[in-house]
Amino acid sequence: MPNITLKHVNKSYDKNATNAVSDLNLEIGDGEFMCLLGPSGCGKTTTLRMIAGLENLTGGEIAVGDRVIDSIGKGVFVPPEQRGMGLVFQSYALWPHLTIEKNTDFGLRLRKVPKAEREERVNLVMKKLGIEQYRDRYPSQLSGGQQQRVALARMLAVNPEVLLLDEPLSNLDARLRLEMRTELKRIHGEFGTTIVFVTHDQWEAMTLATSIAVMHDGTLQQVGTPNDIYDRPANRFVAEFVGSPPINIIDQSPGNSRITDASRQYLKEYFPAISGADSLGLRPENIKLASQISDVPADHFAEEAFVAAILPTGGSWIIEVMVDDHKLFLTVNEPPQVSVGQQVWFHTSPAFMHLFDSDDQRLTAADDVIAEFCAAGESCAPSAAKAS
Amino acid sequence: MIKEQVSPEEVGRWMRLRYRLKIGWREPTAAIGLFLVLLFGYLIVVPIASLLFDSVQVQFGDVRRAKADLGELTWYYFDRALFSPVSKILFWEPLRHTLSVSFGAILVSLSVGGVLAWLLSRTDMFGRRWFATALIVPYMLPSWTFALAWRTLFKNRTVGGQAGWFENMGWTPPDWLAYGQLPITIILALHYTPFVILLFGNALRRFDSQLEDSARILGAGPRTVAWQIILPLMLPALMSATVLIFAKCLGEFGVSYVLGLPVNYDVLATSLYRSIASRQTGVAAVLAGAIMLIGIVSLLIDARLVRESRKFVTVGGKGSMNRQTALGKFRMPATALAGLIFFLSVGLPLMTLLLSTIMQVPGQFALSNFTLDYWIGSNLETVGLSSGILLSSELWSAMWNTLRIVGFASICSGIMGILVGYVVVRSPIKGVSIFLRQVTFFPYLVPGIAFAAAYLSLFAVERGPIPALYGTAAILILALMADQMPYASRAGISAMMQLGKDPEEAAQVAGAGWFRRMVTIVIPIQKGALVAGVLLPFISGIRGLSLFVILAIPSTDVLTTFSLRLLDYNYTQAANAVVLMISAIAYFGTLAAQRLTKTNLADGLGG
Ligand SMILES: Nc1ncnc2c1ncn2[C@@H]1O[C@H](COP(=O)(O)OP(=O)(O)O)[C@@H](O)[C@H]1O
Ligand SMILES: [Mg+2]
Repeated sequence: MPNITLKHVNKSYDKNATNAVSDLNLEIGDGEFMCLLGPSGCGKTTTLRMIAGLENLTGGEIAVGDRVIDSIGKGVFVPPEQRGMGLVFQSYALWPHLTIEKNTDFGLRLRKVPKAEREERVNLVMKKLGIEQYRDRYPSQLSGGQQQRVALARMLAVNPEVLLLDEPLSNLDARLRLEMRTELKRIHGEFGTTIVFVTHDQWEAMTLATSIAVMHDGTLQQVGTPNDIYDRPANRFVAEFVGSPPINIIDQSPGNSRITDASRQYLKEYFPAISGADSLGLRPENIKLASQISDVPADHFAEEAFVAAILPTGGSWIIEVMVDDHKLFLTVNEPPQVSVGQQVWFHTSPAFMHLFDSDDQRLTAADDVIAEFCAAGESCAPSAAKAS
Repeated sequence: MIKEQVSPEEVGRWMRLRYRLKIGWREPTAAIGLFLVLLFGYLIVVPIASLLFDSVQVQFGDVRRAKADLGELTWYYFDRALFSPVSKILFWEPLRHTLSVSFGAILVSLSVGGVLAWLLSRTDMFGRRWFATALIVPYMLPSWTFALAWRTLFKNRTVGGQAGWFENMGWTPPDWLAYGQLPITIILALHYTPFVILLFGNALRRFDSQLEDSARILGAGPRTVAWQIILPLMLPALMSATVLIFAKCLGEFGVSYVLGLPVNYDVLATSLYRSIASRQTGVAAVLAGAIMLIGIVSLLIDARLVRESRKFVTVGGKGSMNRQTALGKFRMPATALAGLIFFLSVGLPLMTLLLSTIMQVPGQFALSNFTLDYWIGSNLETVGLSSGILLSSELWSAMWNTLRIVGFASICSGIMGILVGYVVVRSPIKGVSIFLRQVTFFPYLVPGIAFAAAYLSLFAVERGPIPALYGTAAILILALMADQMPYASRAGISAMMQLGKDPEEAAQVAGAGWFRRMVTIVIPIQKGALVAGVLLPFISGIRGLSLFVILAIPSTDVLTTFSLRLLDYNYTQAANAVVLMISAIAYFGTLAAQRLTKTNLADGLGG
């Protein structure tokens, strides 16, 4: 299937309500695994349902390749049953009165596929998803994970070119979720299906997607590969939403605190050409600790702090340090050499700094400076080296 | 991010409209919605409007008295019903009677039902499971079953025909015991006690014992707990029960007719009936309007109370517990109390009715006195029928009418209920959903007898293309259907809500068109709801009286009106036999519905 294109798509459920989705422009390439990521209520489900045709537009246009399938301006609406897409609902929406086999079979029957072929296809899909032993059961007799696989099988049976998934893993326990993630990735590779996957879980998006679209309050914030999103967040919202523990933000308005003043001083020195930085973001894993200033590399930003808490998370540790009353989180993968209450120096390389302007947008000019650091041999995030 | 806004105004109005139409009329939902709006507009809104018009327009035959021309606006009927010298008989006395009977019934049923509810849900009384069903039985039977039983027992010479049992045993009950306020109050109370048991029982079961425990731990004694924790939380259920019983008593016709008539003890419903019977259409319209108004106001109050009580719903937390109180030495007396109530409200009346149909001389327990003549005899010398009831062709024609009329109406309302549910949940036009939801609920606010009066007002004469329907089965079917719509549509809406959009949308995405989705997904899943939506109205329709008593004529007699007619002829045995049959059908029908739909009879029995 060619690309799916959303142009200036608007949706409001009520005349006076604020838009659930506003001016959304998005292109989903053939064979892509696109994740719509954002906090709950940001319009992900709405977007997905508009693509499926289950929700009408308030403005804009949706096209598949050159063919417009939904457009107010052109007065076109292709009903969902003719769009040939697959949709897996968050609730699974299995038909309670049909057996697992009949559920899986439904779409093929509608397409008047001959019986032999139908059976073959159903068997194949059920086998692939490991549900063939439940074929004569009813949905209520299956566990959540099994139901989820039936919901998937039901859609895969008709081999749709586009598969839309609405938080399909959110009702599963952690282990099953991991298993199903692998499963989905395999299906994507095996069937070559274009997948649009809605989730509010950043790890899910990071691990699965070839491309992530981050949404917030009905507007698109950034589209990019998982690495792009993580290493070069387009604005503060994306920076803060992706990553756990979340990115540390240091406010840059003057006279705020010791850490503000020190970082302003540092930026002036190392990013002399960049003006208008309103906040500085530091990812927890990019912050290091040293017990003496002499252990800190000369070009690093460093400040004295004391260790407020050490939280083991199994294999890695989250350390909370305080610079006066400004709190910073950092993560380490080796047992920490510091103890609670100890005075330490935290420090970080300029190559891992995220600068945002007063509109919370990323200062991309700073990325060029960072690319120079990287070229000069500073250790860097992979995507930071190839700055625009 | 690209930021070039296309303002909505730039898109042509025409295209916008085309898009709308394309979506709105793509599927039959909108067309069905429109059809339902028109149908229920005509079946519910128009009759009531017509009735209200009747109350302010000069009616046929009143031209001279109202001193105005036929059809002109007039306050004559309001004046006559509310302010004239006869208003005391027409309205004020019946209102007073209605109020005193209702409040008496509420008082008794709340105290008896409250105690029973507590015994059933929170104590270790013997046989709780059995009683939980048994004590609900009175609610499944027509309320005037008890009135007939009462009359069989206590009847005195004030009324002709066969003597009452006590009279035959040598003691003549005084009028105040045999007829009027006291028996009506007692019977209504017994009939609505199950209602209290259900409402209270539900509230008590949801009540978390940990709430009491917390108060106890903080040092509150049992009395403080009862007054400061339990009572305030139970208050909404209490108020709700009060209002609902009141609204039901308001339209209560049968009991007052059977026990009030001999001593001219009129309530609003019987006064309305008399006005209609004596062709005082205008006054009847005023009375019906008044009943409707009181009904609406009280149910609005209830709706408000329910909303208030929602605030408490989340109270029962995770570890919600329902601990039982050990009754100790009161265990036996408590069980005896429940047994006594069961005996008084079910055993005694039904036994009385049954015995009365097989005894030649009432109240004489000699073996030679028993006979099956009233059931299967022939060449009898009674006023009413010359053969036993089972051999009478009138019974079978009434039976057939009942099945035909009530059955057809129930099937229609069941289907309409699902359709309304579907449209309310799915309609692309919000106004349609809201209108349908409200209009189908409206008959619930209107006591059946007032609703019947409205139908009479609209369909008594030919209007436009619609012929005069009075005297046909059609008017009964339409009225019954409209009257049952609140239950049918509520069931349909909640079933569709519960189903949600997802299963249908999943089929849609899979490629199924509207018709296909209906046949393969929606209807099979909603089978149970459909069966319930037919059976429950059927049961309440079969024991219904107030609609029929106004709208039926001898040729469209159903079982209920037939038994009332037999009673008017003073053929008590036959009337009692018919009522027994109705009770049996209602009882076993309810059990069947419960079995079929796997629901608790508590939930569906509105009517
Ligand atoms: N059927 C609906 N009617 C009215 N508002 C809705 C409806 N569905 C969603 N919304 C609103 O639209 C916004 C986006 O919702 P949704 O797309 O479901 O978010 P997400 O899937 O990202 O959690 C929310 O503010 C939500 O309240
Ligand atoms: Mg969602």
